[in-house]
Amino acid sequence: MDESVFISTPDHVSLEFELAGPGSRFSAYVIDFIFNVLLIVVIFVVVFLAGGLLALRSLVASSQGTSSWGTSWILAFLVLIIFLINWGYYVFFEGLWQGSTPGKKRVGIRVIRQDGLPIGFREAALRNLVRAADMLPPPCYLLGGIVMHFDPLGRRLGDMLAGTYVVVEKFALADQGASGAAWATRVEQGRSRQALTLPRGMISAQQIALIEQFLARRHELSQERRGLLVWQIAEPLLSMLGEDRDSLARSADRTDRCERLLLQVLDLAQTREPHVAAATKTAQPPSLF
Amino acid sequence: MQNAEEKLDQWKRFYRSVQVLLRAGPRALRRLSSSELARLIDDYQGLTADLARARSFGGARQTIDQLNRIAVAGHNLLYGQIRLREAGAAPHWFGRFARSVRAHLWAVALSAIVFFGSAGVSFVAVQIYPHLGYDLLDDGFLDFDPASEENLHNIPSLARPVISSLIISNNIQVTLLAFGFGLTAGIGTSLLLIFNGIHLGSVAGWMTLHGKQRALWGWIMPHGGTELLAICLAGAAGYLLASAIIAPGQVRRTTALKRVGADALTIELGCMVMLVIAGLIEGFVSPSAIDYASRIGVLGVSLALWAVYFLAAGQDRSGRAGSDIIPDSAVKPTGL
Repeated sequence: MDESVFISTPDHVSLEFELAGPGSRFSAYVIDFIFNVLLIVVIFVVVFLAGGLLALRSLVASSQGTSSWGTSWILAFLVLIIFLINWGYYVFFEGLWQGSTPGKKRVGIRVIRQDGLPIGFREAALRNLVRAADMLPPPCYLLGGIVMHFDPLGRRLGDMLAGTYVVVEKFALADQGASGAAWATRVEQGRSRQALTLPRGMISAQQIALIEQFLARRHELSQERRGLLVWQIAEPLLSMLGEDRDSLARSADRTDRCERLLLQVLDLAQTREPHVAAATKTAQPPSLF
Repeated sequence: MQNAEEKLDQWKRFYRSVQVLLRAGPRALRRLSSSELARLIDDYQGLTADLARARSFGGARQTIDQLNRIAVAGHNLLYGQIRLREAGAAPHWFGRFARSVRAHLWAVALSAIVFFGSAGVSFVAVQIYPHLGYDLLDDGFLDFDPASEENLHNIPSLARPVISSLIISNNIQVTLLAFGFGLTAGIGTSLLLIFNGIHLGSVAGWMTLHGKQRALWGWIMPHGGTELLAICLAGAAGYLLASAIIAPGQVRRTTALKRVGADALTIELGCMVMLVIAGLIEGFVSPSAIDYASRIGVLGVSLALWAVYFLAAGQDRSGRAGSDIIPDSAVKPTGL
């Protein structure tokens, strides 16, 4: 199974979706199964409590006939409601919650259509009413599992029928610092990274990319890891930058100083890139509300 | 030139307004003024251009992910309108079922042959080899058989709602399985139809052998027309799925499956409605004290109604088949 699927939209934009693996899909299934059982238990309890009250009331009114008719209809209702929950649980939630169920939500996956849009009731019904086939031999999901394993897009039979993928739902946008935004400046200039030539050597484009990515992500790293990485990245550049490697290695604020050096390199690399005025966009920031 | 951070902020604001619009439902876009809409589309295009540039110029993975996520939200908002159009283009639900059935009569015929064929064979087999009845029928039924003719009809009226709901849910489950097992290239559907056919045939054969055929048919007739027809149609829905797997034609199997999916689902949903009607008759009319002639009457009327429905309902002037309403999506997914 592939890691992700690219869906190209009618205006030729490639949207990337990370495919959900069998592991997360199975955990979502287990959670949904428990939820399903709980739902039935709750309904049983509620109905029997209500039924008990009903029987009590009819005892007081001493009208036996109506109470047994009531019981009969309540049982009929229970049979239907359990059937509906068993077969309709997934259809209901996926249709209503745009491809998510309580279990899927918990795990962070959802179902989308082949064109990248969230699914509706039709797709939900198609992919879930044929679940029995994927479950063969019940309840092993052997057939569905084999099909998923060999399909590059990780679909079970129901997904193929409905034309859906199960993808990983990425949550809130993390904030990122100024260095993470450096790509945008470069994008504005319409050019890619270039090597930086210094009097005492050259820093390659790959090294600059590495510096940029490290600086963008440094706040997410543990202190120890951050110090280790910054040393690994900065050390080969020290002589070019005119720093004394040995004294820096021994100093207490090694990490800080290395990071400052890397920031300088990045600044230098960005100011050295020629400006392309034509690429400047004048788009206003959106303010719909 | 725009500052890089301003730019990221701009996309985050765009994302937030898209989120608001997405939450407001599919018709939210219609409430925007034309300039707001134009702005929205401009922003989306600017964003997707930036996404493409960030990809080709090797932006940080994290940045690309964020832009991609915003683009997905924008895409869902702007292209989500397609779903409204699809819903609007769907023909009226009442005629859809009849039309889907008419479009796939071969599947209905195949399903009927398998179902009634195995019923017929087991009926004849029980006539010729009566001891087969002991193998094919369950003990409960064999014990029940020697009882009087009235036994078949005397479900106490109190139990009828429960019996009715049990019958409805059991029958619908059978049709759901017949439909879903179509994905096993029709093997599961065939087995299900054959088992149910053998059951029907051997019960009928056994009753006939013991001179109880009048009681049997009296029992079956009121609901049987609707119920057996629904089971045949569910088998047809299963065979329709199987046809996409066995003989996809010029397209990939997954594409073929998608094409037949809508019609098969329509047929299956129609079957469920039929079985609710049949279950109500079976729970309330069949066990009641009406005479043999009225039973024949109920059968006749129900079959006539279904015949009229399947022949006449949804006859479209444009002659469009049900499957056409699903536009074959132009998108071609590629794995990474």
